[in-house]
Formats: sequence, C-alpha cells, structure tokens
Amino acid sequence: MTTPAGPQDPFVHPALFYADAEEYLAGTVPFVRAALAADEPVAVAVPGENLRLIQDELGADGAAVRFLDMREAGRNPGRIIPGVLRAFADAQPPGRRVRIIGEPIWAGRSPAEYPACAQHEALINAAFRGREVTILCPYDTARLDERALADAHATHPVVIPAGPGAERASAAYDPDGVVARYNEPLPPAPASGTGPDVLGVAFDEDSLSAVRHMATDHGARLGLSGLALENLALITAELTTNSVIHGGGTGVLTVWPEDGYVLCEVRDKGRLTDPLAGRRPASRDQRGGRGLLLVNLLADLVRTHSAAEGTTIRCYLGR
Amino acid sequence: MSGPEPAWPLPAVAVPTPAVPRLDVRPLAGRTGFRAAGEVSLPTRGIWECALERAVREGEDVYHLELSALTFVDVAGVGALAQAARSLGGGRRLVLDRPPDTVPRMLDLLWPGLPGIEVVPS
Repeated sequence: MTTPAGPQDPFVHPALFYADAEEYLAGTVPFVRAALAADEPVAVAVPGENLRLIQDELGADGAAVRFLDMREAGRNPGRIIPGVLRAFADAQPPGRRVRIIGEPIWAGRSPAEYPACAQHEALINAAFRGREVTILCPYDTARLDERALADAHATHPVVIPAGPGAERASAAYDPDGVVARYNEPLPPAPASGTGPDVLGVAFDEDSLSAVRHMATDHGARLGLSGLALENLALITAELTTNSVIHGGGTGVLTVWPEDGYVLCEVRDKGRLTDPLAGRRPASRDQRGGRGLLLVNLLADLVRTHSAAEGTTIRCYLGR
Repeated sequence: MSGPEPAWPLPAVAVPTPAVPRLDVRPLAGRTGFRAAGEVSLPTRGIWECALERAVREGEDVYHLELSALTFVDVAGVGALAQAARSLGGGRRLVLDRPPDTVPRMLDLLWPGLPGIEVVPS
C-alpha cells in the first residue's frame, strides 16, 4: 500500500445529489461497476426501494456486491458506523480500496431521528480518517428538506451536484460544527408522577439492580416482551452503570411511551467528550468499553445531549 | 425541536430501596467447573471475575460453567467470559451450560468468532 504524499486523506466521502431515479442510477451504478472492474470490494446500503433500483440495473453483475436495506441495518444512525460501514470495510483484505454507497437520510426520517442522522454523517469523516475507503452518500433533492441538503454540504468534503455537474470540494465542509450543532437539548422527558405511564427513578451504585428491575417491570407494562424486554434490561444496565462509574456516581432513569416506542433515558452529571464513543467496532483484544456500542446495536434510535451540566442519553425501543 | 431540558435534578423521582444483588458460585460435583446463581452486574463483578480467573488457572482442558440460575449478565460480565476464554489457549475451552439467552447474543454481537467458548443451550 502506498502512503499518500502530503496532507491528502485517502478516505473519500462525497455527497451525491439526485432528483429522480435516472439521476440516482447515473450517480451510483457507474460507481459500483468501477469497483467491480477494479476487483475492489463494494457494498450498497440504501433504503429498500433504491436498493431494488440498483439491483435491477446491475442484474447478474450484482452477485459480487453486498446489499443491505438501510431502513433495517441503519434504522438507528448510531449503529451504522460500527454495524454497517466498518463491519464491511474491516472484513475486507488489506491493500484494496473499499467502496460503499451509504444512504442514511431519507424523506421519512422523523424529527427525533434527524439530528442523530446528521451527526452520524459528520462522524464518518473521523471514523474513516486515513483509510483507503470511499463512501458515496446519495441525497434526494426532490424530497429532503433544505436543512438536510444544506447539512450534507457541511458533512461531506466533496459534493456531486444533481444533473451533469462535476464533483467539487464543498466550501461549507464543517463536520465538527454539525456534531456540535446537533448536540442539542432533548425535549424534556415527562416528569415522574405525571401519569401511570411514566417511571422516573433516581439511582446510585446501591440501587443499580433495583432500578433495572423497575425498568423492565415498567417496560413490560408498556407492552415490551421477549427480545425487546431483554434489550431494555441490557440498555438500562449499561447506561446506569456508566453513570455510576463515569457520570458522577448517580443519575435519573426515566421510562415512558412515545409514538409507538418505549423510551429509556438516563441523565447524569458526567460529560461525554468522545463523539465516537459507542461507534467503534469492538476489537478482539479490547476488554472493556463495549457498553455504548451494545446500546447502539440494540436500540432503534439513540439520542444524546452532553454539556457542562451533564449528559442525557435517550434510547427508543420498538414495541 | 422543542424547548430546553428542565434544570437538574428532575423533580419528584422515586428512590428505590436498595436491594443487594447476589452471585453465588459453587464448585460442580463430578466435573471441573462451577455453578453460578444470581446476577452478574457491577456489584457482583468481582466475584464473577475471581471465579473465572480460577477457571483459567486450574488448567483443565474443559471447564464447565453451569449458568441456568443466572438471572442477568451485563456486557462487562460477558466481557470477562470472553477474556477468560481468550486466556485459556492451547485447545482448552469453557463450556457454558444453559446460560441466559442474552449471553450468546452478546458474544455474537460483540465478540464474534471467539474461540475457546462453547454454548450448550437450554
């Protein structure tokens, strides 16, 4: 492998803007075919309907491509770097550029999901710095709002305009700014005592086990069962234990229903300073530090706000 | 998004009665290994790690962990299992007898392909 001379990062991360299926295929299929021609590993992780467009166009050539429905694999944006992008890139033999099409932002992303999506796109740059990887991110200019399209110019160092325009550097590139901007206070959790659906409970080291049981009892009352209830127990244990060890020793757990999900939130007085926490795949030799990764892999959405006064981590679990 | 979070702390939260979680570890009769009952979480982590360190030291080729009476194991507890399995080496292995379902799930998610560990499901 050659080391690039000078400051050039071998990681390439363009945003591709498209307005219709024709522009989508014109921007994505040649990317896949070029990778196949160069014998480079290639994966496509996009929403199902776009996945089918690309698969139909590639036909039999698609046999060597790894396809993933991003609506499933990337439902929680915090899961995409460890569970989709690095899971694929790290499994490839060294010495060859790895190419991925990743479309994490689509028109149906909810207001609760969007800030986590934008932060995810920004953090890809830090997660892949120095790697021989190209991640092409399509953006639907016909259906995404102006904020999402403007943010794409800040999260991608390179942009490819819709239509026949040429690739160019993005003058607005500012991934750290996006991470900071969407580190926004979450809408307040309902106060404990506002109804039978809300569990609010303070904890410390001595009550870790008790609050985990309270959370799962409450989750069951709210309709969680089976795997989802096991996930709530694991997520509650990881977040509350983190508060005890790293977050000042105490915290407040709140569990309540919202929009068809059960939400589990832990607030403490600690500060989360590593934006990639929970987004690095576990290395075989590393012993600890997998708690937030597990939370990202299990939850349907994870939202975080961390500031001088403390940290809030809110997880969404589908019923 | 809507307005800011309320000032710390949240009002009117319940404070649970502390319940001390237990983890009992006893040697198995008739084969090398131990039976664990209770939960593996921060308060019991030390007991669990000591039992696993003993398993690694004992030097048997197969070490049985009878885990059907465990009610909960957190990520750090599964991590200690993975660490013990890795330290065995030389074809030795830990056999997990009927662990909680979450244990093989976490092993698959976070320590895929780890050698030295075998799960006997319930």
